[in-house]
Amino acid sequence: MTDKEILELYKAGEREKAFGEIVESYSERLYWHVRRFLCSHEDTDDLLQEIFIKIWSSLSSFRGDSSLYTWIYRIATNESLNFLQKQKIRAALRFESMSSKLEEKIDEDNGVDGNEAQKALMKAVQRLPAKQRTVFIMRWFDDLSYEDISEILGTSVGALKASYHFASEKIKTELEKYLK
Amino acid sequence: MLTGKDIFESIGKDRPSVPEGYFTDLKARLGSIPERSIVRQGPWSSVRPYLALAASFVAIAVISTAVLKNTTKSQSPDQFLNEDSYAEILSITNPEILYSEPEFEMEELTDDDIINYLIETGVRAEHLAYAGNQY
Repeated sequence: MTDKEILELYKAGEREKAFGEIVESYSERLYWHVRRFLCSHEDTDDLLQEIFIKIWSSLSSFRGDSSLYTWIYRIATNESLNFLQKQKIRAALRFESMSSKLEEKIDEDNGVDGNEAQKALMKAVQRLPAKQRTVFIMRWFDDLSYEDISEILGTSVGALKASYHFASEKIKTELEKYLK
Repeated sequence: MLTGKDIFESIGKDRPSVPEGYFTDLKARLGSIPERSIVRQGPWSSVRPYLALAASFVAIAVISTAVLKNTTKSQSPDQFLNEDSYAEILSITNPEILYSEPEFEMEELTDDDIINYLIETGVRAEHLAYAGNQY
């Protein structure tokens, strides 16, 4: 079912059915999107619940100014960044480093065991500044177009291209050290 | 050596693994959010914000009453009566009397006054004799 059909279903009063279609279309995609940020299956699973609760409760206020696809990704991205921000504050209160905490999670995460290069890539991504990291995850891992990312983050395509370029260069430098 | 985009291509986009059947379970859990939110809401949820508002007003009233009671002195009806009766005996023609110092002269004590006082308070004779010599 397309986004347009989902919205028509919702407007026709079939709200729960429309939400079911959103879950069907987006749950797996958003899982991978969020997991790249959080680097933990458990955290991703918890946050996905929050994200979909937010989608359900805000769907009635969706005006259709943007596409459903970018609106849903915007919610997921904002929630992921907020989650990381809260984790960062908690880590700071315990005098811990957030990036080292994320690197620990990457090592502990059963999913990437055996693929050391993937771990190195994910660690390099986590060391990036927040904006560059967000753009890199959305562009490289999620294969989103610059136009879609621009709509989701509210940033110009030019600025996104620059962020992606800087991010790629930093990651390459890190990986070249690792691959030597 | 690999450089540029080739590095990313060589690493690829391998996804971390998830527990078996996870996405089927996830979709079922997420799909039940509308039902759960309806159950959670119920008729009680529409009244709850108003009750919370009313409770906060009551709490403010109770706290402010307690603070006022503790910070202001209470006056019994007797005190009011005393003040009234005191006002009645004040001179109406000369109210400044209330603020003026009482006027009376201290009488000079004589030797006899002192000796009488010492006798009344039980001072012994030898001490009185000493006092007599003094005065």
